[in-house]
Amino acid sequence: MNPFVRRQLAGPPHCRRSSGALFKRAAAFGGALVLAGCASLSPDGGTADVQALVGNNPLMAGTTAQRVPDEASQKSVDALLAKPLDAESAVRIALVNSPRVQDAFATLQISDADRVQAASLPNPVLSFSRLAQGREREFERMLSFNVIGLVTLPWQARWAGQRHEAAKLQAAQSVLLLAADTRRAWVRAVSAQQSVVYLRDAKDAAEAGAELAHRMAQVGNWSALQRTREQLLLADAAAQLARAEQTAVATREQLTRLLGLGGERIGYTLPDRLPPLPKSAPELGDVQALALRDRLDVRSAQAQNTAVADSLGLTRATSVINAMEIGAVRNTTFENDADRSRSTKRGFELDLPLPLFDWGQARTGRAEAQYMQSAARVRDVGVLAASEAREAWQGWNTSYALARRYRDEVLPLRKKVNEEMVLRYNGMLASVWELLGETRASMLVVNAGIEAQRDFWLADTDLQLALTGSSPGGMTALQTATAGDAPAAGGH
Amino acid sequence: MNRRNFFAGAATAVAATTASRVSMAALPEPVMQSSTATAPPLAPPNGRPYNPVVTLNGWTLPWRMNAGVKEFHLVAEPVVREMAPGFKVNMWGYNGQSPGPTIEVVEGDRVRIYVTNKLPEHTTVHWHGQRLPNGMDGVGGITQPHIPPGKTFVYEFTARRPGTFMYHPHADEMVQMAMGMMGFWITHPKESHPLIEPVQRDFCFLLGSFDVEPGSATPKVNTMTDFNIWSFNSRVFPGIDTLNVRKGDRVRIRVGNLTMTNHPIHIHGHEFEVTGTDGGPVPRTARWPEVSVDVAVGQMRQMEFIADEEGDWSLHCHKAHHTMGPMGHEVPTMIGVDQKGVVDKIRKLVPDYMVMGDKGMADMGEMEMPIPDNTMPMMTGAGPFGSAEMGGMFTLLKVRRDQKPGDYKDPGWFKHPAGTVAREVPGASVPPAPRNAPSPGNSSNTDATVRKPSGAHNH
Repeated sequence: MNPFVRRQLAGPPHCRRSSGALFKRAAAFGGALVLAGCASLSPDGGTADVQALVGNNPLMAGTTAQRVPDEASQKSVDALLAKPLDAESAVRIALVNSPRVQDAFATLQISDADRVQAASLPNPVLSFSRLAQGREREFERMLSFNVIGLVTLPWQARWAGQRHEAAKLQAAQSVLLLAADTRRAWVRAVSAQQSVVYLRDAKDAAEAGAELAHRMAQVGNWSALQRTREQLLLADAAAQLARAEQTAVATREQLTRLLGLGGERIGYTLPDRLPPLPKSAPELGDVQALALRDRLDVRSAQAQNTAVADSLGLTRATSVINAMEIGAVRNTTFENDADRSRSTKRGFELDLPLPLFDWGQARTGRAEAQYMQSAARVRDVGVLAASEAREAWQGWNTSYALARRYRDEVLPLRKKVNEEMVLRYNGMLASVWELLGETRASMLVVNAGIEAQRDFWLADTDLQLALTGSSPGGMTALQTATAGDAPAAGGH
Repeated sequence: MNRRNFFAGAATAVAATTASRVSMAALPEPVMQSSTATAPPLAPPNGRPYNPVVTLNGWTLPWRMNAGVKEFHLVAEPVVREMAPGFKVNMWGYNGQSPGPTIEVVEGDRVRIYVTNKLPEHTTVHWHGQRLPNGMDGVGGITQPHIPPGKTFVYEFTARRPGTFMYHPHADEMVQMAMGMMGFWITHPKESHPLIEPVQRDFCFLLGSFDVEPGSATPKVNTMTDFNIWSFNSRVFPGIDTLNVRKGDRVRIRVGNLTMTNHPIHIHGHEFEVTGTDGGPVPRTARWPEVSVDVAVGQMRQMEFIADEEGDWSLHCHKAHHTMGPMGHEVPTMIGVDQKGVVDKIRKLVPDYMVMGDKGMADMGEMEMPIPDNTMPMMTGAGPFGSAEMGGMFTLLKVRRDQKPGDYKDPGWFKHPAGTVAREVPGASVPPAPRNAPSPGNSSNTDATVRKPSGAHNH
């Protein structure tokens, strides 16, 4: 029987279990491993470990992700929802309330359980058989250990520990991604809501123009053509507004989902506007170096690579002695005749498959390929991280410059145009429709300015994530790739 | 500006040109003008005597007598002309102003005119209407080489016939005239002329048109028809001085048209006769009384009448849009459009929004709302009874019994004798005229269709 399967089929392990006299002999094999193999589940489900990885990250808004929402955290959610929700509050709510966090912690717990399991001694197997032949009764009791399990226990424990480290990094990435997604959703929701206000103004301007056009036609000052043109502008403005309103609903719902909100809580209010732009660009130095040092996906890939490297050693060791079992046998035969004689045989039983056909080359080759694959992934993630850091930094700078240009140049110029148009209207040099047209145009420019501001805050989140967390867009793909990459537990 | 100030100003200008004195040693020093006020008549200090003219918001160029030749010096240069208080336009002109100074000579005078070109491009001067040697006609490329920037040319001829003339460039003509380059020329008769009567007041001005984008200061030189500034001597109402005369004076008004359209010049309260054209004095048998005379493009007319009705009489171009400031030609008629309910909506977006034009455009004359910088209101000016609602080619002929001979000062508003002003009928209550516009919604049985010919009818 495959020792790994057997280990897994066994009940919950306990390393300090005493198994009587026979065990003492078996303990000779594993005695040295007891300390190494002794492990227990982390009591907080890894919250502290994850927090240690992401706690200082600016995306986290100084808050702790919560494994399971409790009464206190729910109260804090309600308190945060009572006020207009800023980005930091949104992140705080998501980190204690989002199902995604709970999902991430549950995944981490599974990994933790695997780790503990791997570090446990395999359960001894006790076989007992009673054979009857005429009057002869034979009791065979055998307490057997999966020796290979004992032999590979250090590897198993180390490897599972490494996998768990990687899992922690992944959980941390999930938490960071949630924080980033929440920020981005918040930015989108606020800007969409802001857009609606201005597009509503634009529509109001078109409405005033259309209404006046209608009255112009009514008293005979305008033709159907002129009136219809103004109505067309209104119809167009109304369509734009409808689209913007739908965007506002959709982006808000996206935020609501990330916050894990339902019921009456969905009535939260958002601020009227996005936060102002920072005064200057941050001094970051070499962003590539930062990303390669701090990014969790880089660290995660490296940790997994180490684990794979260790698993390679494991495979080498087990390629020959794949399913060696060693058992202590004590057979007692009862003759059941007059002298009530019985005889007891003692000894070892060693069950060793002869490697006639499987010398383990395939297994070794596979493991090496897996290692190469894992190493390639490290390089890949490294290239990705450096490139994304450059791209995100450039994106940050561009969007910052663009948003500033809107704030400092385009909008003031637009305002000036409007003022000049009012002066022209005052001088009867321009019509009220030209005035309204400028007003409408300026609302669209304001809207473009809001979008530039929104893009800046999105780029800002992307930059934080690209430098310290994970791929701003590629985390999901990465997760899928690494899941398939983890060497399966010996089942080959 | 009085005479003393005028020459003081001229002296300052001369000092300012010291640097070029050496090169100009042989030339008469150019006299510059910095004021837009109507200069008093320049009595001839030498040469044959004559009765000088008064150039509306302009001046007469002093000359130097050199061995019996009257020498003038014109400097073609960029100038900033104040067309009305607060409205300054970047123009090209002569000797500090647009139009240039009036040149006054006497029939038979030998005249030498130096022309210095301080413009960025070449120019010439054409002496519009004069009998002169062909090579003195000033047509660039045809009768003379152009005067390059920085160079001085000299024209010399004898003023052979008395009359009213103009001068203007004949080089890049459209642009240079659109920029304001023009001037008046009077040749006085050397002795009493049977068709030229002596007058007590002799005014002259040129009609000019410009296209200045509201809020800007430089004319658009490529405008052909859609001008928005209509001027007498590059001034617009209320910046145009009034023609102030003594009751009983014989008054002559000389008008030259250097715009691209005709102008029916109309004088209130008097009938006049056209006593002279570009071609000279009109035979008495060809004169008839009228109150408006159309001055066609490139023409000059001189109107004469006895100012025997006291009062402030309007004198203007009768094209109504020429007595207006700039207006939006695309602004639709708003008359009869009630903006109730819409106003509040617009004010929410444009807080300064005011309803205008729903009753007509007279609002414009009364409301003092901010308009673009350096822009004349469409209608402006105030009289003793309220808003004048005018602009452009509009001024007043002020006839007073107590205006002293030779005094051109503005006597102020006319004091009407009691009972001679139109007044409200007390107690009468007449309902306002109903507006009788057909509703376009049910106008299907309105058969009358007026088809207007299309084409350029801008003026």
